[in-house]
Amino acid sequence: MKRRTIVALGLAVVLAAALTAATSGATKKAAASSLTVWLQVDAQTGWPNLVAAANQQFQHDHPGWTVNVQYQNWSDHLQKFNATLAANTVPDVIEMGNTEMTQYMAAGAFAPLDKTQFDNSANWLKGLAKSGQYGGKTYGVPYYAGSRVATYRTDLFKKAGIKKLPATLNQLTADAKKLAPLGGGKGFSPIYFGGEDWYVAMAFVYDYGGEIAHTYKGKWVGSLDSPQAIAGLTAYKNFFLATDKAGKTNDSTNPNPYDVYAQGKAGVIVGPSWYTCCVGAKYKATTAQFVLPGHVAGKPMPGFLGGSDLAVPATSPNKALAADWIKDFTSTQSEQGLRAKGNIPNATNLLGNSVNERAASRSWFVPTAKHWVDVENGNILKNMLGQILTGNLSVKQAAKSASDNITSVLNQP
Amino acid sequence: MRRGRAARAGWNVVGLVLFGVMVFPVFWMVSTAFKPADDVNSFTPTWIPTHPTLRHFRDAIHRPYFWTDVENSLIIVGVTVGFAIVISFFAAIALAKYRFTGRKLFIVLMIGVQMLPAVGLVIPLYVVLVRYHLANALTGVIITYMTFALPFSVWTLRGFIVGIPKDLEEAAMVDGSTRLGAFVRILLPLMAPGLVATSVFAFITSWNEYVFARVLLNDQAKQTVTVWLSYFLGTGRETDWGALMAASSLTAIPVVVFFLLVQRRITFGLTAGAVKA
Amino acid sequence: MGIAAGTAATRLSRRRLTWRRAAGGAVPYGLVLPVVAALAAVLGYPVYKLVRLSFQHYGLFELIRHSGQDVGLANYGSVLHDPVFWHTLLRTVIFTIANVGLTMGIGTLLALLLVRVSGWVRILLTAGLVLVWSMPQVVAVQVWQWMTNSQNGVVNYVLTELHVGNYFQHDWYTTTFSELALVTTLIVWGALPFVAITLYAALAQVPRDLVEAAEVDGARAWRIFLDVTLPILRPVLLILTSLSIIWDFGVFTQPFLLIGQGHIYPSNYLMGIYLFEEGYVNSDFGRGAAISILMLVVVAAMSVFYVRRMVRIGDVE
Repeated sequence: MKRRTIVALGLAVVLAAALTAATSGATKKAAASSLTVWLQVDAQTGWPNLVAAANQQFQHDHPGWTVNVQYQNWSDHLQKFNATLAANTVPDVIEMGNTEMTQYMAAGAFAPLDKTQFDNSANWLKGLAKSGQYGGKTYGVPYYAGSRVATYRTDLFKKAGIKKLPATLNQLTADAKKLAPLGGGKGFSPIYFGGEDWYVAMAFVYDYGGEIAHTYKGKWVGSLDSPQAIAGLTAYKNFFLATDKAGKTNDSTNPNPYDVYAQGKAGVIVGPSWYTCCVGAKYKATTAQFVLPGHVAGKPMPGFLGGSDLAVPATSPNKALAADWIKDFTSTQSEQGLRAKGNIPNATNLLGNSVNERAASRSWFVPTAKHWVDVENGNILKNMLGQILTGNLSVKQAAKSASDNITSVLNQP
Repeated sequence: MRRGRAARAGWNVVGLVLFGVMVFPVFWMVSTAFKPADDVNSFTPTWIPTHPTLRHFRDAIHRPYFWTDVENSLIIVGVTVGFAIVISFFAAIALAKYRFTGRKLFIVLMIGVQMLPAVGLVIPLYVVLVRYHLANALTGVIITYMTFALPFSVWTLRGFIVGIPKDLEEAAMVDGSTRLGAFVRILLPLMAPGLVATSVFAFITSWNEYVFARVLLNDQAKQTVTVWLSYFLGTGRETDWGALMAASSLTAIPVVVFFLLVQRRITFGLTAGAVKA
Repeated sequence: MGIAAGTAATRLSRRRLTWRRAAGGAVPYGLVLPVVAALAAVLGYPVYKLVRLSFQHYGLFELIRHSGQDVGLANYGSVLHDPVFWHTLLRTVIFTIANVGLTMGIGTLLALLLVRVSGWVRILLTAGLVLVWSMPQVVAVQVWQWMTNSQNGVVNYVLTELHVGNYFQHDWYTTTFSELALVTTLIVWGALPFVAITLYAALAQVPRDLVEAAEVDGARAWRIFLDVTLPILRPVLLILTSLSIIWDFGVFTQPFLLIGQGHIYPSNYLMGIYLFEEGYVNSDFGRGAAISILMLVVVAAMSVFYVRRMVRIGDVE
């Protein structure tokens, strides 16, 4: 009799579990009249009002429809996206980093869009727009961008007698030498950026007329071993060794440049313009920014245009509505709102005069190759920079090796 | 007698030193939660914050969906642990007490399943749950967590059952009770430590699980607190370390509370195991 | 050694292994059914899919179209011919042995200590262990990074202040050994609570009177441990060791986050990272599946000794 009780108990547990599963009120697809939008969490903390405004506009134009915005993390939003692609539960709109687009466009993940329906599309920033185009079609709408600027201590510049902001790289190097003795001892770096911060290093390459890679007869060719690129890398090496006490193998984290700055251990840091958030209470009042100068007077150092695009997955059932929502979110008014929050808006006619935007007037972008992600993940550029700065390899050798590496990686099937 | 007390005092000192060493990183996390923003990354380490602030705790709690997500975590983990312990206990008894074909295969299956790298299973599992209409639902996550907790629990509980001295069961049966009665009355209390250890493990693993919760749950109102924590680090901009440390300190509380509630059962077995010779 | 303790111990070890098992008809199957049903329903398809994927060419393109190209053993071939795979395998095996050894060794000592301390120290220590156990991995990694940071890490500061050497701005992340040693401290630290608390729970099953009888007879602590305690702990030790091997071999989050994506190279890959970099980062799901299966095979081989003993324990009739 006791045995039967056990068996009954066991079966009851199974049944209970099954029942809960069956009757749980959850459905994976929201009601048909709900648009699913994936934005990164930066929007939730940075400009929630712009999201709300776009939602309101959309709901006004399409009565009966609601917008379900789900915030994602940069670190795993692609894994989630892959899962929805496999299960056909894709969002209707997705925010993609501009370096993430190519891989997915090449795989046919997105629906082609009609450029002309979006505000200011004729004036989209070239660097951003390129990241959303593939095979002649537009798949991504530029959302916003950020460039790299120099954040500096106005009080130290004053103390050093630097009256004008440097207009060329040589002047900046000279200014750095004047800053060096003012740091108060061990660990002060006149200019601070990690040796392997390739966003800064590649800017030098592009400033000297070089590039990372280009296409030739349908195949990718790594071009870091061209004379111009080598000149740029050499200039970078000299600049780093003359002005920067940061770790030669550090990138832009661990430590964060703004943390170093906040401790009073840096006169100038190079990085995104939002670095001013975290310079610490002590130096908040004596912090300003300038555009990093190139080696030729009048031409700023090209800034890396990091940014996001908005795309519509091809298997979404609400493609037209999704495009409409994107239109609302990237409208002139919305973009101006983004600009007010310190971002670079997506069109040249909307650009203002902030340091961030002036830095974007001359910009560079990574090769729009399907396998560019592999170059980044393989740390090819970082490795090269580390070898150059530590002197393990000459600039020429390191550049050649990296270039060959890039050629083979980008040309994978 | 005195030697015993001195020895005990000596062990106590060792224990306290070890406590200090082990807990130091946790202390660092909690102390950082109270530091003003400027001290968080200062170059000279501040051991104990000189101007402690509650600002980070406030910032953390006020981020959207904190309480909702804590509630979700408690529900998911509570149900998972409850069901998993009961179901795996039954299975462990079957393995230990009964002869049946496929017993060895089942045991090997319990450990074999755990050898699969989970990362490869995420996407197909999501597809399966979508088919059952369980994606973006607490139930789906509960079932997933249970499925991962079961093999471990069966494997471990069986080990505890097997370790119980046989003469205890025989002594109970001498009293005239049935096999099962003896088992339940004498051995279940002896199993308590094993059940405690297994349930704490299941609790903590489910509480801190991230990958599956991230992929399976879409609406922030349905997410777990571990996913909520990830938003601190998911931005492309600066991370609010103070708030993250404050939030992590808070999310550790339910785990410790659960443990303190069940840990008394571990010592219980010590006295219950004694059988008058 | 006293005779009483000796015979008690032998009586114990002989009897414990002879469970009389009932042929219980449907009962055992009923007890086992929920587990099997749950596993089959939830993991059946994913496991099948994983195996199937390992024989296919399956990237983003195929993912979107829900169908892959069958390529037979090409994925396995490409992995097995990759020298990085073999170097990583060797490195990970050594890493696993070191981690499991340290975890089990220190964990056992901790558990024995827990028995010997006063009640209040015990509660403090176990609560501390649970605090450690409950710390989310990303947070623990971040604390480790703060502690070992070359610019402002407390480890450098303390080592220099204690005059152990000049560790001012010492960068711990320059050599593979240093990086993996740091990862080991992080993993062992995080794994100790589970091992110590589970072993402590197992020790609670050791009948007090047996231990006391042996002590009264003048047996040394070491002998008591070997003859009385260890036989009872054996199943749990086997369980913990086998689980530790599985977890430490496939570990991913801690080393990946601690060393940092920018410093991860084939020269410091561990198998979990290799799987991620060679499979999932490039969205090469077929290759990732093949690597997963190969990892399963290796882990099974590494733990077969412990698993077999575990299966056999309680089996002698």
